[in-house]
Amino acid sequence: MRKSWAFIVCLGIVFCLRPASCPAAEAAPITIGIVDTYSGPASYYSNDVRDAFLLMVDKINASGGILGRKVQVETRDDKFRVDVGLAEAKELIMREHVNVLMGTINSSLALALADLCRKEKVPFLATMAKSDRLTGADGNRYVFSVNENTAMIGKAAALGLAPRPFNRYWIAGDDYEYGHALAGSLWKNMKKLKPGAVLAGESWWKVGEPDFTPYITAILAAKPDCLIVATGGSDCVSFLKAIKASGLNHKLPIFMHTAADSVKSLGLDGPQGVLCTGTYYTYFPKTAANAQFVAEFEKRYHREPNSGALYGYLAAEFIQKACEKSGGMDTEKFIDALQGLSVESPVGSVTMRAFDHQVVLPMFMGVTKKEPGFKYLVAEDNVTIPGEQLMPSIAEIKQARAKH
Amino acid sequence: MHPAIHLTLVSLIQQVLVGLGKTTTLFIVSSGLTLVLGVLRIPNISHGALYMVGAFLAYSITRMLGGGAAGFFASLLLAPLAVAFLSLLAERFLLSRLYERDHLMLLLFTFALALIFDDLVKIVWGSGYRSLPLPAMFQGSFSFLGLALPRYSLFLLCVGPLVAIGLWFLINRTKIGKISRAAAVHREMVGAVGINVGWVFAAVFMIGCFLAGLGGALVAPTQSISQGMDASIIIEAFLIVIMGGLGNVWGALLGSLIFGLTDSLGVLILPQFSIVFPYAAVIVVLLLRPSGLLKSAW
Repeated sequence: MRKSWAFIVCLGIVFCLRPASCPAAEAAPITIGIVDTYSGPASYYSNDVRDAFLLMVDKINASGGILGRKVQVETRDDKFRVDVGLAEAKELIMREHVNVLMGTINSSLALALADLCRKEKVPFLATMAKSDRLTGADGNRYVFSVNENTAMIGKAAALGLAPRPFNRYWIAGDDYEYGHALAGSLWKNMKKLKPGAVLAGESWWKVGEPDFTPYITAILAAKPDCLIVATGGSDCVSFLKAIKASGLNHKLPIFMHTAADSVKSLGLDGPQGVLCTGTYYTYFPKTAANAQFVAEFEKRYHREPNSGALYGYLAAEFIQKACEKSGGMDTEKFIDALQGLSVESPVGSVTMRAFDHQVVLPMFMGVTKKEPGFKYLVAEDNVTIPGEQLMPSIAEIKQARAKH
Repeated sequence: MHPAIHLTLVSLIQQVLVGLGKTTTLFIVSSGLTLVLGVLRIPNISHGALYMVGAFLAYSITRMLGGGAAGFFASLLLAPLAVAFLSLLAERFLLSRLYERDHLMLLLFTFALALIFDDLVKIVWGSGYRSLPLPAMFQGSFSFLGLALPRYSLFLLCVGPLVAIGLWFLINRTKIGKISRAAAVHREMVGAVGINVGWVFAAVFMIGCFLAGLGGALVAPTQSISQGMDASIIIEAFLIVIMGGLGNVWGALLGSLIFGLTDSLGVLILPQFSIVFPYAAVIVVLLLRPSGLLKSAW
C-alpha cells in the first residue's frame, strides 16, 4: 500500500516537472495525404503533381507555415488500383488524421475516394483524374477538382475545331472511360456548335494497342476531313509515332488533346501540324510567374515540369489560401473558404467554382511545330480558350445530379 | 452513330498487307513462346517481360549508336542477343534447379521472373515513356498501283519469312533441333543416350527468349516503349500458341496469321467493334478444334 502511494506521488512530481514547452503546446502541423500512382506509366504525370506540391510546401514551411503551422505531407502509391488506393486513403484518414486528402490519376479510384471523403468528412482535392463525374453527376460537398475534366476538354476541342472548314469527322480512341467520355463530350458540343457536322465513322482500340497501322490505313480509306483522336497516356505517344511513320499528318488534319505533352518524348521526330489542346506548357503562357515556376522546378528536380506540375501547384495554393482565409483547419470552414476562391498561378488567376467545386481553367489550342531552341516539338500559335467558356453550365450540372 | 463500311479492292489489299506486317511481330514473339513450351514444357510467362526488355534495350542501343539506321539494325541483333544472355543466366542459375519440381512451381517461377524483369526495367529506365524514331528509310509509305503501303510494314513482311525459314532450318536441319525435338518427346531417353539435356534446354530457352527480344526490338520504333507493354503481348501470344497447338511452331505461324488478319480486316470492316474480331476468331477455332489447329506437342 505504502509503495503504491509513493509511486503515485512520484508520478505526480514527474507530471509537474515536465517541460513547459511539451509538443502538445506547439501548433500541430497541417497534414496533407496524397494517394496517387507512383509506379507504372501513369507516374509520368503523378510524380510531377507530387513534386510541384512538395516544392510549394517547402516554400510555405520556409516562410513559417500556414498561420504558424507547418505543413506535413504523407504520400502513398496506389499502383493504379482502386482497392489499394482505397485502403491507403482509409489508413491516411484514420491513423494519420490527414486534414486534406489529394489524388489520383485513376478516375475510378478518384470517384471511390470522393465517396469515402464524403462519409469521413475530409476535403478531397482531385489532382489528375479527368472524369467529369467527380464534380458533375457524383459531385459532393467534400470534393474539389483542381484539373480540367473530359467535359471541359470536349468543349474546348469543339470550340477550337468548329470554326475550321471540316465537316466529316472520324473519331478514334482508347476503348475505355477516358476515350469515350472525351469523344462523347466533344461530339455533343460539336453538334451544338455546328449541326451540319457528320460523323464518318469511329474506331476504338484497346488500351496499349501495339500497332496502329491497320487503323490508320482504314481511316484513310474512309477519307474524312479531320481525325479526332481520343486517347491518353502512352497510347498518345504511340499514335503520334504512327502518325509520323505513316505520314498521316500530311494527308489529314488531326486533333489530339495533350498531343503537345506527349510529343515531347519523341524529341524532334514527332509529327508536325497536329492540332492539340493543353492546359499547361513550360513555354506557354509566357508569363513571369510561369518562367519563375519552371526555373524553380528545374533547379530542384533537374527536369522540366509537365502539366501534372500545374495541378500540384494549384492544390498547394488553394489549400494555403483557403486555410488562411478560414483562419485555421476546420473542415467545414475550409470548404466554405475554398468555394469561389481565386489564386494566382503560372497560367494566370484561377478560380474554384463555388457551385460544383470544379476549377475554372483556361485551355490552349495550338498546333505541333518545330521551333528553334527546343529539343522537341512545341505547341505553336496557341489560342487561349478562357475557362469560363469551356465550363459545363450550372444547369447541366444540376441536371446530371438530379438524374443521379 | 452508324458503322461505316469503306470497302474497295484497294483498301482490302492494303489492309491485308498491313495486317501481315503486324502478323510478323506476333509470329516472332509467339514462336519463341511455343518453342519453349514444346521442348521445356514451361509456359514462360516472363516472355512478355523479355519482349519489353528487348524494346528498352533496342532503345538504348540505337541511342548509343547515334540514333540512325545503323543503330537500328545493330539493335535488331544486339538487343535480342542481350535478352538471350539474360535468359541464359536465369535458366542456368534458377530455372534449371526447378525442372524436377511440379509444373506449378515452374509456372510460378516464370511469373516471378516476369515481375523481376518488370522492376528491373523500372530501375534501369525509369517509368517514363521512351521513344525511338523509325530510320528515315522506313518512314512514310510506298505507293504502288494506288496502294499506300507503310514502308515499315513492308520491311516486317521481309523479316517474318526470314525468321520462319531460320526456325524451320534450326528445327529440322540442325543437330540441336533434332535433339530438342527428341527431348520434347522423351526427355529421359535423350539423357540415357549420353546427351546433356540440360544444355539442350538452355539453348532452346535462349533461342525462345532471343525471339521475344527480337519482337521487342522490331516494335521499338513504332510504339511508345513503356512499362506495361508486356501485358498485352503475352496475352496475345498465349492465345496464338493455344490456337495453333501447344509447342507447334507452324501452329504459331497459322495462329498469328489468323490473329493479325482478323484484327486488321476487322478494323476496316467494323471499326467500332474491331477489338472483338481476333478474340472471336480464337473462340471459333477452339470450339472447332479444342486442342488447336495443328498437332500439339503436349
